[in-house]
Amino acid sequence: MARQQGWFALILALAIAAGAVLASFPLQLGLDLKGGSQLTLQVLPAGAIKQVKSEQLEAVKDVLDRRINGLGVAESTLQTVGDDQLVLQLPGEQDPSRAAKVLGTTALLEFRAQKPGTEQEMSGLLKLKRQAQAVLAQSRQSGAQAEPEIKTEELAKALDQLGIQVPPGSSETEQIELLLDEVNRRIVALYEPAQLTGKDLTSAGRQQQQTGSGWDVTLAFNSDGGRKFAELTQSIAGSGRLLGIVLDGRSISEASVGPEFKPAGITGGAASITGNFTAEEARDLEVQLRGGSLPLPVKVIEQRTIGATLGAENVQRSLAAGLFGLALVAVFMVVLYRLPGLVAVLALALYALFNLALYALIPVTLTLPGIAGFILSIGIAVDANVLIFERVKEELRRGNTLIRSIDAGFSLAFSSILDGHVTGLISCAALFALGTGLVKGFAVTLGIGLLLSLFTALSCTRTLLRLLMGYPALRRPTYFLPSAQLPGSAA
Amino acid sequence: MTASSPASEPVLSAQPEPRFRISRIRRQGWLVSGVAVLLSLIGMALCWSNPRIGAPLRPGLDFTGGTQVQIERSCEPAACADLTAAAVQQRLATITLPVPDGAEAPRLSSAAVQVLDGGRSLELRLPDLEPEQTQALIDQLSPLIGAVNPQQLSVNTIGPTLGSQLLRGSVVSLLVSFALIAAYISFRYDGIYAGLALLCLAHDVLITCGVFAWLGLLRGVEVDSLFAVALITVAGYSVNDTVVVFDRIREQRRQCRDLSLMDQVDSAVDATITRSLYTSLTTLLPLIALLLFGGSSLFWFAVALTVGIGVGSWSSIGIAPTLLPLLARR
Repeated sequence: MARQQGWFALILALAIAAGAVLASFPLQLGLDLKGGSQLTLQVLPAGAIKQVKSEQLEAVKDVLDRRINGLGVAESTLQTVGDDQLVLQLPGEQDPSRAAKVLGTTALLEFRAQKPGTEQEMSGLLKLKRQAQAVLAQSRQSGAQAEPEIKTEELAKALDQLGIQVPPGSSETEQIELLLDEVNRRIVALYEPAQLTGKDLTSAGRQQQQTGSGWDVTLAFNSDGGRKFAELTQSIAGSGRLLGIVLDGRSISEASVGPEFKPAGITGGAASITGNFTAEEARDLEVQLRGGSLPLPVKVIEQRTIGATLGAENVQRSLAAGLFGLALVAVFMVVLYRLPGLVAVLALALYALFNLALYALIPVTLTLPGIAGFILSIGIAVDANVLIFERVKEELRRGNTLIRSIDAGFSLAFSSILDGHVTGLISCAALFALGTGLVKGFAVTLGIGLLLSLFTALSCTRTLLRLLMGYPALRRPTYFLPSAQLPGSAA
Repeated sequence: MTASSPASEPVLSAQPEPRFRISRIRRQGWLVSGVAVLLSLIGMALCWSNPRIGAPLRPGLDFTGGTQVQIERSCEPAACADLTAAAVQQRLATITLPVPDGAEAPRLSSAAVQVLDGGRSLELRLPDLEPEQTQALIDQLSPLIGAVNPQQLSVNTIGPTLGSQLLRGSVVSLLVSFALIAAYISFRYDGIYAGLALLCLAHDVLITCGVFAWLGLLRGVEVDSLFAVALITVAGYSVNDTVVVFDRIREQRRQCRDLSLMDQVDSAVDATITRSLYTSLTTLLPLIALLLFGGSSLFWFAVALTVGIGVGSWSSIGIAPTLLPLLARR
């Protein structure tokens, strides 16, 4: 008895602890349950790197971490998966396209001097660029409905000149955007190779233009970068050649350097990009430049978005299913096994409580497959009890005493319960080690469930049952088995 | 790790005569299972030879890659019904999406459109889209389908590489867990038991796959990564079920050495059959609850588990024990 009471005290203490854990740590719900977006990014090999390794993945992750912090999305998480993938979770975010854009661009910033002898070609391209930008700005101001006022034949001619294939059915705005893109690419071809890149930046900021409504992005260089910038500007000062600021192979700004900088170049280690940015564009560029450029390009290969109400609906339904399933099992157990059935229901309630407390403590992020794993583990936990009670019944039918039957039931059922649970755990381990996201979530909850079920079936049920057997009033075989099945009663 | 020794327990009475002899219906049992496996194989072969499927099971978005958009519309019930899949298809053909450089424009004409709940919700199956393309698509659909509540929007995009990675991961984890389980049973019992457990497991997994192959052929049901999870669960459950019967057979062989193996098997199955049925029932109860109340996202998952667990408890009663006397002639 003393031993039973010791066990009982332990179980009681664990139950109170589990309750306290659940009260102080909230359960973590996955995106499929609370709504939000998940992006999977694939890091692509480039240049000399043929195979992405974990250290390169970490380098990419560092840059992306800084960018995400700059974006200011609450509770976002970025995790590496395997050797070359990253998973970004944005809870509550319904439109991940902006995040995908900010994260997906390499953001390689270059400062390049114009090649000598290309002045004429450059001025032609710049004229086209100004026109296209003016038209776009106009259409942006007057709303999306109004088509920009550009002569159709003029646009067609410009497109034709640059050899641009226009996708059929595209609007004029889209055609102008295509044109602008091609112009920016061609401008880059007129520059010398880069002497100064974003690596030499110490910070980036943004400010509203004093004239006009656009935004500028301001840059500060480290001492090395400041020196290079001075050299670069000195080399082209007063020559009529331009200083190009290039982002990911597109010219975003072209600046002339006046002859007064001929002696020493522009010193002071600061510059600004005048690109007529909108407030949001300026902010995104600032975030990208601050975070640094990506060492390798990335591509968004998976995107999952779940609306918040869809998520809530899933939670409620799965919860209802879980509770209803449990209620059915409880009724079934009490009807079939009488007193021990009641004890098993109590042990199963403890089992559910311990499970949830462990989820909160570890913590396990609950997803739909995770809840499925939990519900299934309840089934297996019940199986352990069924195995034991069937054995107890068998021993009683053979005419053994109650206490001896209970003990025999537990010890005889042990080996098959153990084998069943171990094989289940083996599957969980394989799933966890080799499976992907969804599969892992399922394996974790099922695995925890199996481990706990070994404990509850073998200790909780047993302790409670032995404790009850301490009361002579309950020590009746008919509380275990219909009297007709007992030997020597009816027959 | 030794099994608790039942030999130390006093065995008072002789074994009662089994009420139910599984060996009497063993041939019928083998026939039923054989036919079921054959039908499953035929279903998968038909799926494979079907040019529109081209795989043993109809693969879903998770394995093929692509973008799936589910939209809940906010409209009056009467107005909702006006929307037809053909109208959406037509609208899709006129949409142009922003295209990143160096990439081809996605072909929206190959999209599959389903109008559900009397026009209140819409499911689009599209080629692999970039996030900003998806947004542009939804924006451009709105003249036709009305305003979309972002709270009730679900977008899934799976790149083609991720799909094959998922498939490979699932198959590898399935095979690895098979091998480990076989090793464990060989260690706890012996090789013949392990072989039979694996045979049962293959039987259960094959029939579950077969049911979904036929569902894919006849009802267009697709398998996703949750189906892979269900298969692995069925495998684990099947072994669990079989092991309990084997454990009892081993016990019988120790206690009643004078009986023939067939009789030992019969009384072991007789002793465990109540437990097997009750256990399947208690596991199926939560699954039935999932079928009835679980969200639509878990419906086919619950179906796969229900089928697999049902078949699994049959094979642990009617296949594994009755085959044992054939293989173990000792």
